[in-house]
Amino acid sequence: MSEFARKHPVWTGLIVLAVLFAIWAIFAPWPAGFEDIFGRKKVFLNALFSGITLGALYFLVASGFTLIFGLMRNVNLAHGSLYLLGGYLGYEFAEWTGLWLLSFLVVFVVMGCVGIAMQYLVFRRLEGQDLRQTLVTIGISVVAADIMLWIWGGQSYQVLSPDWLSGPMQLPLVTGYNREGALVYLKYPKVRLAILLAAIAIGIGIWLALNRTRVGMVIRAGVDDRDILGAMGVPIGPVFLGVFAFGAGLAGMAGIVGGTFQSIAPGEDTRFLMASLVVVIVGGMGSVQGAAIGALLIGLAEQLGSVYMPTYAVVLTFLIMAAVLAFRPQGLMGRRG
Amino acid sequence: MSETLSDQTAGATSGTASANALELTGVSKLFGALAALSEIDLAIKPGERRAVLGSNGAGKTTLFNCITGDFLPSSGRIRMFGEDVTRFPAQERIRRGLRRTYQISLLFNGLTVRDNVYLACRGVSRGRYSFLRPRADDSLMHASEELIAAVHLTDLIDTPVAVLAYGQQRQLEIALALAGAPRLILFDEPAAGLSPTERRELVEILTGLPGHIGYVIIEHDMDVALRVAERVTMMHNGRIFKEGLPEEIENDPEVQALYLGDGHE
Amino acid sequence: MQSNLPDTPLANPTAPRWWLWIVDRIAAIPGRAWAVMLILLVMPLVANDFFLFQIFGWSFILGIVALSLMFLAGYGGMVSLIQMSVAGLAGYMVALFGESGTAISLGLPWWFVIPLAIAIATLFGSLVGLLAVRTEGIYTIMITLAMASAFYYFTRQNYTIFNGYTGFNLVLPPALFGVDWRQPVAFYYLTLVVAGLCHLLVTYVSRAPFGLALQGVRDNPRRMAALGFNVTAHRVAAYAFASVLASIGGILLVWQNAQIAPGTAGIHATFDILIIAVIGGLSRPSGPFLGAFLFVLLATFAPDVLRAIGASGERYKMLIGAIFLIVVFVSPDGLLGLWERWKARMVRDDMMRGGGGVDR
Repeated sequence: MSEFARKHPVWTGLIVLAVLFAIWAIFAPWPAGFEDIFGRKKVFLNALFSGITLGALYFLVASGFTLIFGLMRNVNLAHGSLYLLGGYLGYEFAEWTGLWLLSFLVVFVVMGCVGIAMQYLVFRRLEGQDLRQTLVTIGISVVAADIMLWIWGGQSYQVLSPDWLSGPMQLPLVTGYNREGALVYLKYPKVRLAILLAAIAIGIGIWLALNRTRVGMVIRAGVDDRDILGAMGVPIGPVFLGVFAFGAGLAGMAGIVGGTFQSIAPGEDTRFLMASLVVVIVGGMGSVQGAAIGALLIGLAEQLGSVYMPTYAVVLTFLIMAAVLAFRPQGLMGRRG
Repeated sequence: MSETLSDQTAGATSGTASANALELTGVSKLFGALAALSEIDLAIKPGERRAVLGSNGAGKTTLFNCITGDFLPSSGRIRMFGEDVTRFPAQERIRRGLRRTYQISLLFNGLTVRDNVYLACRGVSRGRYSFLRPRADDSLMHASEELIAAVHLTDLIDTPVAVLAYGQQRQLEIALALAGAPRLILFDEPAAGLSPTERRELVEILTGLPGHIGYVIIEHDMDVALRVAERVTMMHNGRIFKEGLPEEIENDPEVQALYLGDGHE
Repeated sequence: MQSNLPDTPLANPTAPRWWLWIVDRIAAIPGRAWAVMLILLVMPLVANDFFLFQIFGWSFILGIVALSLMFLAGYGGMVSLIQMSVAGLAGYMVALFGESGTAISLGLPWWFVIPLAIAIATLFGSLVGLLAVRTEGIYTIMITLAMASAFYYFTRQNYTIFNGYTGFNLVLPPALFGVDWRQPVAFYYLTLVVAGLCHLLVTYVSRAPFGLALQGVRDNPRRMAALGFNVTAHRVAAYAFASVLASIGGILLVWQNAQIAPGTAGIHATFDILIIAVIGGLSRPSGPFLGAFLFVLLATFAPDVLRAIGASGERYKMLIGAIFLIVVFVSPDGLLGLWERWKARMVRDDMMRGGGGVDR
């Protein structure tokens, strides 16, 4: 980082200024003239937090996608279907037992098994044939979407969060002054904060697992150079199975999160598949840190975009992606080759 | 042409003002901390035939990759026919008369022999984006057929490359390098894996090239290298170790020690 | 063993060269192709209006769009999922600049609108290609798919150009020569001729320097650069060419439906084009048309068939998806590849074939 600062003094200065401005904009009450131009601070803060939470959700979906891609060069276009199926199963389980937290564990295990089945029955047979694997995942997603439509119909479902997570909580962030001149603080739904914290915890967990464990090192080596795994004498099959199961389980859990945060309905599978694609293209294929940065960027772009340029929010996402492809085709954190 | 005669011609042209076909000054190539090439100075006169010898890992193929533009050198300049091409993309160097063959055949496996050579002829002429099919009397098509005849593949002209035998692929590899109007060709181990008969044919093809075409050849087979080259450059550990006439190099005790010591392939 | 050199015609100083050229080309058409052409030409004598308009018309249109994908994937090794968006954009541009039932249409004359629509869509396709060719292989699918979905969401949100959710309706073909081109027979011949021309064009270009070089780029980009070709420029040019084909298909599609909305170029439509091209086969220009015909038959009749055997008629997508899965598993080069392998076995051709496929 210091090397960057030494090489690009102007850029470093601009970045520091931008960060300072962002901190001020988030924590300080806005002066009147400022609110005239940018609207009320509460709107901004809400969009900001929604963006970060949405980014957290995108990260949960995309981290599995990027790991699977990095390790196996398998573009799993059925990843959105895993998300949606996880959401439906979580809804059913939570409705049946009323145990919201437990549904995460159950769905993680069940979807992990689905992932193992996919890897074992399908992808293992097409090892090394990237294009055919991708085509197969498209076929699976088409069939899966139709089966889910058959079972759960066209309506949307909302997973209800437990009582201890419902309702808002006050954050130490000023949105402005009330009529009496006292400071007003931002109120934000507890469940969204919980999602955000859980995503951060999972992100750190993945990072630790990748960097501090032997299996993690094997996976990282495999992402960098697949041939190395064979040369190291690592049994490659179980590692692939494990990563696929983990990615699928994570996508399934994300489905419950999405069902609580928003709702689950037909079409959400493609929506989250596309989000994962964009996140991974922006962040860099195969990089978990890249997925985190990409998810945050895209989540913020969508939410802030929908507030400040409602008809062109998609364009903002698209421009981010196009800019990354034009100037850094391997993604922000990706590596060449 | 006899070797002594061509030596004399090479000596005679060296005094003229015409620029070298290829001139490397201080070219180095680093891969991380590893110096694959260090401070290479090399000058090839137009029409000159040069062999580059050296053990595996001496940097010969890296040298070729730097000259063709597959790699950018870490430092140093490359000039072709008086023009600085150090930063030119590969295709621009090709259009200035440079050609190369590859150690491992890089051919278009989905296409026929004819189409492979035709593409090579197209690459250095106009009409690379032409939507019009070649006519029966297309000059490039004629040129392709002649090249295919020159490397003895006429019988297989409509065969997909994927089904050619190894030696035939090597011959085709040479035909691709001869397409257009080459002025300097880099041959990367053209004799590797060939039978003794095929090697004899190869030597015939190389010595039969028109006099204005110069080449640089990497070759492990001393017999081939010394018969087709006017001058020989020895490389070792990414540096130029010795340069001279074939017989000088052949009889040099240092070279003999090095070459035989590192295992003759 | 095919030669791209026609047999030299007997020298006849009176016959003009272009005439000899045409004679050679026609003589080179194999008998099977003549049979197919003859059947398609007399089809209106036997088929009813529904078949002509809905089955054949739609097959030809989807075939053209899938053909543009086949050109990129089969000859260029680039599986681009942007083709349906390019087609959709061309359809939108015809609706926007020409006449429709929507107020924002400009009502310009057709001879100006059609080239303009093709030009705009081609520019869009080439720009996407420019971004996509910076990466290779499997990344192409991801990037073009992401672009296609961005296009879809954009058409849904934008009202000034794309008229949002509703899109455009009453987009009709110009009544050229006093013919209503949406009449089943007229539309059948219109789409047949255009599809036939596109097929001819792709077949022809595949053996022209441009197409040969594209196949060279597919097989070995590094060597192509070492032969003096600009690999990136060649790939982008291929995207441009494919975009022209796709936009022609898109214009026919908007005329057939008489309307266009975001779903026309939605993500499912994007996948459909890929499914069509893969089922038919990516190694030959006839593959996409075969795939499109099968796809249209399935999409149209599968509900009835499913109901007839007691299943729910809504499950036809599952059927298409399952057939697609089976084809991908059994034959990487689609039904055409299956047919060719069967033929090869029948003939007991002992010469190893080059094998057309997408896994190169």
